[in-house]
Amino acid sequence: MNEVCFKNLTKDQCWSLKTYEDSGGYSVWRKILKGKFTSEQVIDELKLSGLRGRGGAGFPTGLKWSFMPRHSDGQKYVVCNSDEGEPGTCKDRDILRFNPHAVIEGMAIGGFVMNASVGYNYIRGEFMEPFKRFEGALEEAYKAGLLGQNINNSSINFDLYTHLGAGAYICGEETALLESIEGKKGQPRFKPPFPANVGLFGKPTTINNTESFASVPEILRCGGQWFADIGVENSGGCKLFSVSGHVTNPANFEVPMGISFKDLLEMAGGMRDGAKLKAVIPGGSSTPVLTAEIVMNMTMDYDGIEKAGSMLGAGSVIIMNESTCMVEVLTRLAHFYYDESCGQCTPCREGTGWLYRVLKRITDGNGRKGDIDLLLSVQNKIMGNTICALGDAAAMPVESFLRNFREEFEYYIKHRKSMVKG
Amino acid sequence: MTDIEIDINGNIVTAKAGEMLIVVTDRENISVPRFCYHKKLSVVSSCRICLVDVEGAIKPQPACSTPVVQGMKVQTQNVKTKNSQKSVMEFLLINHPLDCPICDQGGECELQDLAVEYGSDVSSFSEGKRIVTDSDIGVLIQTDMTRCIHCTRCVRFGVEIAGIMEMGGTGRGENLKIEPFLEQGIQSELSGNMIDICPVGALTSKPFKYELRSWQMNSISSIARHDLVGSNLFVQSYKGKVKRVVSADNDLVNEIWISDRDRFSYESLTHENRLLKPQIKVQGRWNQVSWEVALDYAIKGLNSHILKHQKADQLGGLVSNTATMEEFYLFKKILTEIGCDNIDYRLNVKNLDNTILLDSNIKLDALEKIDYALIIGTNIRLEQPMINHRLRKATKKGADIDVLNVMVFDFNYSLHTENIIAPNKIAFILAGVLKSIMINDGQELPDYLIAIDVDEIAKNIAYKMLNSDSSVIILGEHIINNVDASTIANLVAKIAKSANSRTLNLSITGNTIAANLVGCVPQNSGMNVNTMLASDMRGFILLDIYPQYNFHHLGAAIKAFEKDDTFVISLNSFKDDIVVGYSDVILPIASIYETSGTHLNINNDMQSYTAAVKAPNEVKPAWKVLKVMADLLELPGFNYEDSTQVLAEISYQSHVIHNHDIKDNLTSYHNGISVIWQNSPYSIDAVLRHSETLQETKIGQMNNAYMNQTSAKTLKVSVGDKYLGVLVIITDTVADDCVFINANQTTNIYGQV
Amino acid sequence: MISIRAKNQIDVWIAKYPKDRQSSAVMQALKIVQAENENILSASTIQEVADYLDMPGIAVQEVATFYENYNYKKVGKYVIRFCHNISCMLNGADDLIKHLENKLGVKTGEVTLDGLISVKKVECLGACVGAPMFQINEKYFENLTIDKIDKIVDNLK
Repeated sequence: MNEVCFKNLTKDQCWSLKTYEDSGGYSVWRKILKGKFTSEQVIDELKLSGLRGRGGAGFPTGLKWSFMPRHSDGQKYVVCNSDEGEPGTCKDRDILRFNPHAVIEGMAIGGFVMNASVGYNYIRGEFMEPFKRFEGALEEAYKAGLLGQNINNSSINFDLYTHLGAGAYICGEETALLESIEGKKGQPRFKPPFPANVGLFGKPTTINNTESFASVPEILRCGGQWFADIGVENSGGCKLFSVSGHVTNPANFEVPMGISFKDLLEMAGGMRDGAKLKAVIPGGSSTPVLTAEIVMNMTMDYDGIEKAGSMLGAGSVIIMNESTCMVEVLTRLAHFYYDESCGQCTPCREGTGWLYRVLKRITDGNGRKGDIDLLLSVQNKIMGNTICALGDAAAMPVESFLRNFREEFEYYIKHRKSMVKG
Repeated sequence: MTDIEIDINGNIVTAKAGEMLIVVTDRENISVPRFCYHKKLSVVSSCRICLVDVEGAIKPQPACSTPVVQGMKVQTQNVKTKNSQKSVMEFLLINHPLDCPICDQGGECELQDLAVEYGSDVSSFSEGKRIVTDSDIGVLIQTDMTRCIHCTRCVRFGVEIAGIMEMGGTGRGENLKIEPFLEQGIQSELSGNMIDICPVGALTSKPFKYELRSWQMNSISSIARHDLVGSNLFVQSYKGKVKRVVSADNDLVNEIWISDRDRFSYESLTHENRLLKPQIKVQGRWNQVSWEVALDYAIKGLNSHILKHQKADQLGGLVSNTATMEEFYLFKKILTEIGCDNIDYRLNVKNLDNTILLDSNIKLDALEKIDYALIIGTNIRLEQPMINHRLRKATKKGADIDVLNVMVFDFNYSLHTENIIAPNKIAFILAGVLKSIMINDGQELPDYLIAIDVDEIAKNIAYKMLNSDSSVIILGEHIINNVDASTIANLVAKIAKSANSRTLNLSITGNTIAANLVGCVPQNSGMNVNTMLASDMRGFILLDIYPQYNFHHLGAAIKAFEKDDTFVISLNSFKDDIVVGYSDVILPIASIYETSGTHLNINNDMQSYTAAVKAPNEVKPAWKVLKVMADLLELPGFNYEDSTQVLAEISYQSHVIHNHDIKDNLTSYHNGISVIWQNSPYSIDAVLRHSETLQETKIGQMNNAYMNQTSAKTLKVSVGDKYLGVLVIITDTVADDCVFINANQTTNIYGQV
Repeated sequence: MISIRAKNQIDVWIAKYPKDRQSSAVMQALKIVQAENENILSASTIQEVADYLDMPGIAVQEVATFYENYNYKKVGKYVIRFCHNISCMLNGADDLIKHLENKLGVKTGEVTLDGLISVKKVECLGACVGAPMFQINEKYFENLTIDKIDKIVDNLK
């Protein structure tokens, strides 16, 4: 446990440059500066490691980096997505607070590999403590001569800046995030063109999640194979899981991929007050909810969770006990997507409000016969028809909640009160 | 781009690799619905109504933003496509009001059309509909934003076409609202195009509000008259009244845009000041009479004052440059037939020995492909909005533009340099440019350039001209009465020749190109306008003339017309006190859209149009009035039944090659303060001056005399004073030795001069 | 008028972006200007930011109304942003919000009479393992209980 991003978690001043360097931090970057680590080697090691994008999509990082037209002329950018805001997810905040230098080193390496001399770390606007911690680390890194122009006479340039958000979940979508850095509303762009070709300020850009960048230095220091071996097939390495909800000790755990859900729950101290497990959202609010029976045999890796009928997402495990009213939970989630829809494309702008209003009506005791079919029909009309994934993210929970807990919704509509709470 | 083949609905079609699917389907006439997509605007792919089924893609793909690739298989009609499109329609309709019966867009609404095809009769949406409060965005555009479907065409129009972002999308999610900032209203001179591109009834024409349904109106294709482009448009009328003007598509002329003044000027046709009946002045008293009586009076007057005495050389024929080509021709023909050579349309030129003779030799669509332009003496954005739009497009592709103006004007693109130059120094800068180019080319310098000083401005322009592959020099209206007008035009021609550049003469207005082609200028040894005004004339025939707006020598004009024994026949569309004051006969003539005719644009495109409506009351088209006058004068050769026969008879003069010899020696600046008098953009002709809504806009209200502190001191005026009847504004954005006046229709300088 | 101090702060952000990309600093410029104007944005401050960054007013207005961190009506000296999303909800946030409302005598969205505190219900603040939680101005407070809330709020001056 805690071998990569959280490796120094228990140490004093774990965020300081000294702590980071004492445990091997910046050794890879220094090798690169001395010309002893090539771009090709980096990409090969990352491919070998099986590292997949930790923001939720799970795209292989090595492959992503190889897509950048790194040999073309002109400015290119690397961007770190620290706009953490998916309900249930709170791991990047801790990485920024407790291991900022890993993010900096990972981004610098990415910049070198992709021939991008400038990087931006987009931190959500509410994360003022992590922002200050990260800015402090940047200052240390600049002072130590690890960033800037012609670093250590290596002729390598890398300048890194933070960009601070202002409160919009949608900016976690990578192209919305780019729009936001450009000083616009965070409205996702349609693709193609992909950011690797037309990204920030119209230049080739690679965007990775905080955890992905933070994992890179340790992977390269210890070897891709080492990382791959920690995890299981198709899910290399370890990963941070944010376990929240009805557990005794909610926390972030960096554990090997493929660990059983049971063990993870155990690490979090088990169900609080010995209550019975009812449901789990395994990867953040957008991923389908699973029932207790299913999760008990589930392993925490991309394939394991997919087999169980959901997605690993950002590793945000929300635990619900039997006192939970699933109608009310879904209503709250529907409100979230309704509130956070950027409004750009029709199905999401109009559909998220529709879903929320129907659910609100049900929880207000005004549900009608046919509302369940209506909800299913509306979510189906959003699904797959939007510019970005927020539409799908709003639709998927509706489908899975209704599939797994339909009787609670039927009860609420019929009796005008919660089946669980009475 | 390479040619590829793709399969649409089982048919193989050819396409260019990488072009968007919707471009291919449009070309192939395969129907794909759209709201946000517009061929002249950037793609945003946000309405999602164009989703189609592409083989191999799990999700339906938006046709507007899906590049085609070899072998792609697309279904635009299958169940998957229809389901996606129906879903989007349902979402669009849940918050759209069901107020089609009272919506001005009814019958031409893209949403309504699609709803008929895709929409469901019964909505499963039973929550409350969204209500959006409206902001007043000005006098031209009516908003009803509850109807808005957030396609953002109007927002993109502002950013991409008008060049000023005025509308925006505020808020987020379902609270996204399309609105301007601070309700400051829409200021663009092209704003009305937002009405045309809005797919629903959110933005409609305010003057047209609640008037009619589109299908009730008669739509006639016509030509705009207020600039040198002659934008193509449709005039829509109901029961003989023009109710609305909308743009027509012509990529070589106006693309699909028209300026606000071309869109809203039709309002003047029903202005209360329209002249509706002929009238004659008998013994100092005006009588409304029949056409027979009026024409008889006119002919008798001509005979008794002039023809009887064989004094045709003391008759003057003056015509406004807004007339049709056919009118110019008939006007000249009548005068020639009765032996009068005194004919002119150049009413606003101070000195007709110092005029601009310059060809335009670049087409409108080529303007957007230039890489460099030198603009001299024009507030081009407001004076020639459609030409400015082409230049703006060129700058977006990287063209540099330098400006030599007498004051700072608002451009909607960034300039390479903006040089504010005193009117009496412009010729010297251009001489410096020519000298620099000639030295660079190793040419021998003519005498007039030897002493010329080549300053930094001239050097910079010469450098840009020499290093450009495709440049143009644009000469504007502010030079017409420049002390060096003719020299400036000749220098421009010489620079263009030396630098292999082209020229665009925007110093002309109205239908001047047609007037020139017909030869509506003094014939043989006839007098020009200024000579006529200074001579002892026995009579005038005046076509569409309002002296206080038309003449440079206003005082002399009115004096000449008012003279006791001078017989004046006026043909006008609008009542005017000054015209009443000096005329003996006033004949009411048709205004725009009420007569057939021909206008020539800057491309030399001869654009003919028919009447869209019949002239009101007893008003007759001017060409018919001229024809009947000729008949009554028993002149031969006026047997026309319609204006096309007149056009067919016009034989064009062979193109005159201007001699661009420089006469001046350019040794020293002309001293003194130059006054540049410009009618405001919405006051350049009688039609615009009577377009009430346009007059209420910010552009319509422009009415100021601008000068800098030094000039104000010399002229002994200060802020709040009037200069030549116009309110003084002192600003350092004006060059030395210059007063720049923008005068609108309210300015009455009669008595000031 | 944007103060010199605020302009200096904005300039720090402008310097992070390429030349002629000063509009990238708009989100921070709005926050900085908001902080100087009793935590409220008005049409005139938006216009000032637009002028300073050479942007169209409506473009700044779009940003200022899209993101959640900007205020248009009076807020307290301390703004309590209470997360009510799933993890916090599962841990009793709704009851705690009611407690806070009762304690302060205001509803969410309102300001206490003395202008000291306003309460706002917000979506996930990304501290789910510390649920229930809220943010007061810049600072996060996690694992909240009624007692803890009372203590924190009582210390606000």
